[in-house]
Parts: sequence; structure tokens; C-alpha cells
Amino acid sequence: MNCAECRDNLVACGEGLLARDETLQCRAHLETCAACRAEYEAIASLQQRLIARGQAAAGVGIAEPVMRRIRREQFQPERETMVSKLFKYRWGFGLGTAAAAAAIILLILLVSPRTQATAAEVLAKGARAVAKLTSIHLRGQMRTYPGENFGAINPDHPFCTIELWKQFEPELKWRVEKPGRVAVMDGQSKVMFIKTANEAFKHSPGSTWDFDTEWLQKMANLSTTISNELDNARSQGWKLDLAEKTGADGRAKSIVTVHAEFGLPEDDPMKNLFFDIADARRVYCFDARTKLLEAVQIFLRRPSGEVLIFDLSQIDYNQPVKPALWQLELPANVNWIQEAQILPDNGKYASMTAEQATRAFLEACGREDWNEVGKFISSITAQLKQYSGGLEVISVGKSYGSKVYAGRFVPYTIKLPPEEINMRLSNENPAKRYVLMGIYDSKLQPTGDDDLKWTNTPAILPDNDVYARMSPVEVVKACFGALTNMDWPELKKFSPDDYVEKIKRQLEEEQKAGMDMHKLMPGVEIGEAFWSPEQSAWFVKCQVSQIRGGSMAVRKDNPAGRWQVDGGF
Amino acid sequence: MDLTDKEYVERCRDGHPEDFGRLVDRYQKPLFSYLAARVGNSPQAEEAAQESFVRAFLSLKKLRQPESFYSWLLGIAGRVAKEQFRSELHRKQESEAAETLLTSADDHTEDYPLEAAIAALPENHRQVILLRYYEGLSCQEVTTRLGMPLGTVTKTLSRAYALLRQELETREHAEQTVNQTEQP
Repeated sequence: MNCAECRDNLVACGEGLLARDETLQCRAHLETCAACRAEYEAIASLQQRLIARGQAAAGVGIAEPVMRRIRREQFQPERETMVSKLFKYRWGFGLGTAAAAAAIILLILLVSPRTQATAAEVLAKGARAVAKLTSIHLRGQMRTYPGENFGAINPDHPFCTIELWKQFEPELKWRVEKPGRVAVMDGQSKVMFIKTANEAFKHSPGSTWDFDTEWLQKMANLSTTISNELDNARSQGWKLDLAEKTGADGRAKSIVTVHAEFGLPEDDPMKNLFFDIADARRVYCFDARTKLLEAVQIFLRRPSGEVLIFDLSQIDYNQPVKPALWQLELPANVNWIQEAQILPDNGKYASMTAEQATRAFLEACGREDWNEVGKFISSITAQLKQYSGGLEVISVGKSYGSKVYAGRFVPYTIKLPPEEINMRLSNENPAKRYVLMGIYDSKLQPTGDDDLKWTNTPAILPDNDVYARMSPVEVVKACFGALTNMDWPELKKFSPDDYVEKIKRQLEEEQKAGMDMHKLMPGVEIGEAFWSPEQSAWFVKCQVSQIRGGSMAVRKDNPAGRWQVDGGF
Repeated sequence: MDLTDKEYVERCRDGHPEDFGRLVDRYQKPLFSYLAARVGNSPQAEEAAQESFVRAFLSLKKLRQPESFYSWLLGIAGRVAKEQFRSELHRKQESEAAETLLTSADDHTEDYPLEAAIAALPENHRQVILLRYYEGLSCQEVTTRLGMPLGTVTKTLSRAYALLRQELETREHAEQTVNQTEQP
């Protein structure tokens, strides 16, 4: 071993990481070379110094007391309220300058309406009332997707329950539960269990992802949440309203409404998708005497009007929490899903662009190469295999970002493998022609496509007899023929006007974006017609390769630095 | 996945104050070690460390270079140590000895160059040193924690040692020069 090789290996040698032969060679060189020996000794001396310092600090663990102090220190709202400023000025001026004081007070009142100041005062007192929590339990309901984690808003979906338990002292622990999903942080690790998929995800407490419960976790830190509302109202100019009401329990309540604007641009793809970034009206109900927060409602603001998306109706303060809550009972055969790990050929994937990774993922799905698919997604479910196996990639567009998302969005269009659908038809209309009434799956269940609802009535055409003589199969053939030729007036003879207009708009947009229209047309094989006695309707069986498009959310902030599919598929 | 100091600082500023806990986890031991070397007494060092973190959190908005969080934290800790020292003196009402002791307290900053040298390391080198010596992880464990190949960990350590020695030599040389200048 020469000097250069020896020095390259000095650290590994000192750490006992070299093979026996290499260690012997390294030591032999050190015995004969004074310069390398001096270098080795200098490193060893520095290591001893570092070891001594590390050992002196070995038992130190101050994170919990520091964070407790921070939670307490963070709350100093009262001294900043407009009300306390007013009082400060009043006492500061004294009797001799009463007129000047009155002028200043008037000015402040004009700038900041009384309701704003009083609402701020209620928030400040509410924050102070919950400044020293040891535990909290929240129970409410939210509008979200059944198959989503805990943070996505779906204003059109019915409510589902959501519940959180959080212990602040002596050690931070939490549990969040909604139907089908539960996440627990027991102080050592964070685990989420998806019951329907029998899958579990595990992260260290240091990981920043709390399975999209972050917004609720933040809310559970009530003092900070309420103080932040106050700070934001001041700094962002959000309007505050205050109302006094008597509750169902006969006690006086102070209701503070915060008109919050998260302020994402209209074209941001994440706008209003998650609870913590939504433009919302938040309503806090405090007990007027105890100042304790009793309920919260969040209304999503959207152009069509407001909709209640979160209704927190139960808050329990400092109640003992059963230790069993921090334990998650998992089935023995649970499928553990890991974060992306470093692969032997990781570099090949880590150097991909978001677009390249999206294409590679989709193409691997198309080839049903599930091993390769696994390089881009942590969980390969039977559903994913069924949906994506055999797909054909039509296009992958240029990626774009969001102000609040760490990854990228990649537009894509795919053609799915053929699947059986059944077109429902009826001629019970004034024109006595067969028209489309709905799209059903192979088991004759509706596919959930509401677009085929008729808001107009099928008109009696000048050549109505020609159409009235067509069989259900001929109508379906004519329908797909009109679609392929983009003959919209013809398509309207068989489908609702709104449905045709919607398809027309979508295709025109794709055409403007330079898409080949023929590639966007679904592949169809039309089978036979049959009468369903259960549904009392005619159906025509078809094999259809559907075209699907969307934006794939991908992110690479994982230990392997590879793009991973995060959603949108 | 662990984030960088800069990313944690930005997340704290963006309304995730609980992420400050990650920075406390990362730096509590070297900060304690630094303060223990300055103020000696363990409970006092621990108290000073807590105070330093709390002040850092409350002043986070003023931090201009979030990537230099640890150097900045050491600066705050230095001031906390001095205040603690002054407060102790005041409590004992040893007014006559105060000036002398205060002067020596100021000098103490230069006596503890190791943590300051660690603070001057690039973040990836600093992270490996902290995990290896202050968290007591083996190289193999550092590999798993950071998702780096073993060879990269040993190379990073090797480079970190070289940088630390260089930094310590510079500081010691500067100190010697000052001492020689001050001698009559």
C-alpha cells in the first residue's frame, strides 16, 4: 500500500471497516511511514476530542421542555391587541392631555372597527384559556374522499367522522382516526393503517409527513391556532366578526368568525384542495364565561357559494387518555409499505426528469412490469394492476408546480385496456327514438357518470321516422360514429345537449393544445343488445378502451431522491 | 426524511412551529457540550441550552441565512452564557471581582473552538460528524440514517476531519497571535 492509498483508507481503517487484508496492509504502511503515521495520529487525536464531547452530552434530552416553553412563549397575544393598545394610550396620556388622547382613541376606533377589536379580544382570551394543555380530544366531521388520507377536501361528498387524541405532556403522542384509516404517533414512530387495503406505513417521528393530519394537528395546538388567527387577521387584513348568542345549554357564547384567505392564485393546481390551504370562513364558538373554545366550523368559499366542510362539535380538555390509544393493533399479515429506498441502479432513476419518470411509470404499467412500476410507487394494489395493466401512453406533457407542493404535476393522457360497458337506451320519449340514458358496468351497475342525465327533451326531428326505426345497436353505432367524426349536431340526436357540449369543449381544448384527435377517440367494439328485466331497459354491450387524462403528482423528497407517484392516477 | 436546517427554518416560519423540535433534536447535544465547556455546571448548561433554543425560536424571523442556523444558535448561546454568568455574579453581590470575572468570561468564547469549528463545516459534513459523535451512531448506522453508501460516509468523515483540523489550527493560531500581542 502506498501513501495515497493509505490516506484514502485511514478513516475506514480507524473505524474497523476495512477487510482484514487491507487493515494489515494499512497498518504495515503506518509502521514504516512517519508522515502517514503523523496524519493517522492527528485524526485519532481529533476523534478522541470529539468522542469526549459527545459522551459529555450523551444524556441530554431537552427537546420536550424546549417545545413546551416555546408553546407557552408563543402566546403573548393580549399585549398586542387593539384593545390593550387603547388602554395603554389612555393610561399613558393622563388627565392633562385628555383631548389629545380622545382624538387618538377616536382615530384607532375609526381605523379598526369595534367589532374587530372585540373579536380580537375574544380570540386572545380564548388562546390564553387553553395555553397550558396536557392533552386534547377533538371529534367532528369532515367532507373528504373515502379513499384519501386525512387532509383532502371534497365539498361534494357526504360528511364522515374524524377524531383526534393528542397528548402534549409528558411526551408528545397522537392518534387520528376516520372510517377505514387510523394514524398513531406513539413517541417512537408514526404509523398509518389503511384497513381496506390492509396496508401500513411507518415513519420516524422526525419525518415531516404526518399522513395529511397536519392541519388537524395544528388545530389541536389550540392556543397557537387561535393566536395565529389573530396574527394573520392583523397582518393579512382578514376581517373578524363577533356575535353573542345563547347556546343550547343556556350559557352565553361568543362567536368569532375569521374570514380567511389563503391567497393561492386561481390557477394554482392545489387551490382549495386541502384544509390548511383553503380560502375559508372559520367560525369559533367560545363559552363567554370560561373563554374555552367549544366548537369550530369551517366553510369553503367557492364561486358557487359557501359549503360547510368541517364541523368540530366536541372538544375535551386535559382528560386522561387511555394508553391503549397509542397502540395500534395490526393484522399479522399487514402489508408494510416503505418509503422509496436506494436501489442498486438508483442513479438511473434519480437522474430522470419528472416527465421522464411519469412516462416510465405509465409504460411499465402498460407492460404490466410490476417490479419496474414499484420503482415509482410504494404500493402496488390489485386495484392499480386492474386499472392500469395494459394501458397505452398517448401523451406526457410538460410539468408544472404549485406554491404549496414540494413535487411537480405532469399532465398525461392514456388509453385504458378494453373493458365491458353497457349502454342503456330508452325510446320512452315524445320522439319515440332510442337515445342514450346511461353507462353501466359489466354487472349492470351505474358507472357514476351523471353526464347522461337529460335536461332537454329529445326533439321530434324532420326525419324522425328514420331515427325511430333504428334498433338500439344501430343507435349506439351511430353515436360512436358521430363522436369519431366530431359531428356534434348528429351526436345530439342521441345524447343530452349538455353532455355533447361538454365533450365538444374538452376535445376542442385538446385540439388547441396540439393533440391528435384520432388518438383521443375511445376504441369501441359494439356487441349485441339485450333486455334487462330487472332494470326494465334495453342495453347494448360494448368493449371500450377509454381515454383518461389528468395530472400526475410526483415528488422526489425521499431518501432515494427518485420521483415517486403521489397522486393523480 | 430529514430536511436541511434551511428547510426546517423555513417550515417554522411558514406556520409549522413544531418542526423547530427537529432542530432541537439535531443540535441539543453539541450546544449543550459547547455551553458545558463555557459554564461548567451541567444543570446551568442545560438551562442555558433551553434558553438559547427558545430565544432562537422567537427570533427566527430575524435569521437572514437559514442555512447558518447552527452558527447563529451558537452566537445566541454565547450571549445567554454571558448573561447567566453576570446574573450569577449579581446574585452573589461580588461587585469587586465582577470586572475581572466578566473579562475572563468574555475570553471564554475563544476557549471553546471545537463546536464553533463544527458550526463552520458545510451542512452535509456537519451532519455526519454530529450523528457519529454526538448521537453515537456507527458509520454503518449513519449510512442507514442518511441513505448514503458507506464509502460516501467515510469520505465525508475524512473530509470533515481535514476541514475541522484546518479550522482549529486557524483559530488556535489567531489566539496565539492575540496572546503574543497582549504580552508586555
